[in-house]
Amino acid sequence: MTGGTKPAVELRALTKDFVVGLKDLRLRAVDQLSLRVECGEVFGLLGPNGSGKSTTIKLVLGLLRPSAGESEIFGVSSSRVEARAQVGYLPESPNFQRFLSGRELVSFYGRICGLAGVRLKSRVEQVLGWAGLTEAADRRVGTYSKGMLQRVGLAQALVHDPQLVILDEPTAGVDPLGAAAMADLIRQLKARGKTVVITSHLLAQVEDVCDRVAILDRGRLLLCAEVASLGNRAVASSPESLDENDRAELARWLSARGKSPGAVVAAQSRLDRIFIDEVRKNRSDSGSGSA
Amino acid sequence: MTTVPFSLTRVGLIAAVTLREAVRQKLVAGLALIACGFVLGVRALRDFNFGAPELKFIADFGDGVIAGFGAVLTIVLLAQLFFGELESRTALTLLAKPVWRSEFLLGKFCGVVAVVVVFCVLLTATLSVVLWQRESALRVEGFATLPAGVGFDPGALWVAAWLHIVRLTVLAAGMMLVACIAQTQLYAIIVGFSGFVVCHLQHVAQGVYSRAGSSAMAWVATLIGWMFPDFHLFTLEAGGAWTFEGVARLTVYGAGYAALALGLAVWVFRHREI
Repeated sequence: MTGGTKPAVELRALTKDFVVGLKDLRLRAVDQLSLRVECGEVFGLLGPNGSGKSTTIKLVLGLLRPSAGESEIFGVSSSRVEARAQVGYLPESPNFQRFLSGRELVSFYGRICGLAGVRLKSRVEQVLGWAGLTEAADRRVGTYSKGMLQRVGLAQALVHDPQLVILDEPTAGVDPLGAAAMADLIRQLKARGKTVVITSHLLAQVEDVCDRVAILDRGRLLLCAEVASLGNRAVASSPESLDENDRAELARWLSARGKSPGAVVAAQSRLDRIFIDEVRKNRSDSGSGSA
Repeated sequence: MTTVPFSLTRVGLIAAVTLREAVRQKLVAGLALIACGFVLGVRALRDFNFGAPELKFIADFGDGVIAGFGAVLTIVLLAQLFFGELESRTALTLLAKPVWRSEFLLGKFCGVVAVVVVFCVLLTATLSVVLWQRESALRVEGFATLPAGVGFDPGALWVAAWLHIVRLTVLAAGMMLVACIAQTQLYAIIVGFSGFVVCHLQHVAQGVYSRAGSSAMAWVATLIGWMFPDFHLFTLEAGGAWTFEGVARLTVYGAGYAALALGLAVWVFRHREI
């Protein structure tokens, strides 16, 4: 039920204002956001804290009502329950019923999504296995570490084999091994034809797994591009961006001073650089615009 | 597009998890234990019987304990479970699944009502044992034939228990509506208790206003009568010579108010931002 040629997610001029205080003051969290996430791609939604990423995801999931604009999942309006039938969602810093065991929790969400009998049982074991929780499956969720909560959250998101998986900060508070395992899992999901939308602050990881990224700041879309095409935008901040002759000259220059060629490395990934540049530019534009 | 119809299975699943969560709460265990303690220790308070026969005093006291502790349990538990789910963001994960908001609310409501039913049945059973033991002791002490209407009537006790369940179900539905409107747990609890008092005392206001002779006040009393269920009717039915017709009428009366409050709660919750 992926809707044929319909995009997995489509946002059209999506806007969300929150009323703040008693004087009907409005805070714009998402501002005229238009995006398309195509089926089968891994899409990264990036932005600094408070940029509107989580609000956008809540709007996509129908948990918030847009002030203006539209949001659709596989061509179905996000306001409809049907839109969520093919969606798996891992919230930021997930919290679950602490008194259930991991297996009971995943089974509960599986049954909520309509699974039953042998299929439910096999899916629960399968996703617990993927999440690396088979041994801890009978422990109460209240005893899980932060990383394990993240993994059981992933298991409940995948239990009904959704076509679209939305991961909100899936590596927040997870150790590097866990983060690497999450990246592997995202690649596996892509290989199986799933669409993945991910928000993260680990830009290098996003760069590694995503096909396309969008950068948000203050609710506005600053950039939406294929990760592969971002190389053209990268400034010459890394030795890899130099041509062969310049790299050889740099190596000679370093060698003459007793340094190894690896002494100069990119301080930041290219996405880091673009992210910071775009956000700073937006803020300076907003600042001068409002002055 | 595959349609996702309203599902009683999902309501039942949410209710079962709510019940499991509720029975683990210290509040539930604490209130149940204290209420049981009052019922079991009622004989220590028999000096305060104001001249009523001992068995009637025990029955009335136990009835009051069930009503009072039941109301506290219903109001506080529902507020805790509802706001706990929103504040811990477990509702976020659940509502991101193909779940109707009405299923979520009804599941929570049914879970709380299940706790209320267990509470009322447990306390009524305890009260039955206390009354049966005391009646047996009185017979042994020489009151071989207790005066008519003074002996322990198990039927009346269980009818009273049923009426408690109906009344607390109405209270839970009203509390669900309040919780859906309120932004904080404390506010919901305060409004819930205020509503409970209005429901119990509205017959007094109606009596006063109707005697006042002012058409405006009578109109206000009628409005209150329509808006709030009259819990005094349940007390009268349980305290008097109950009839099946009376109990059935009150059950339908309570079910009507509960359905109305839940309908409004669902409407409010559908527009609430999580």
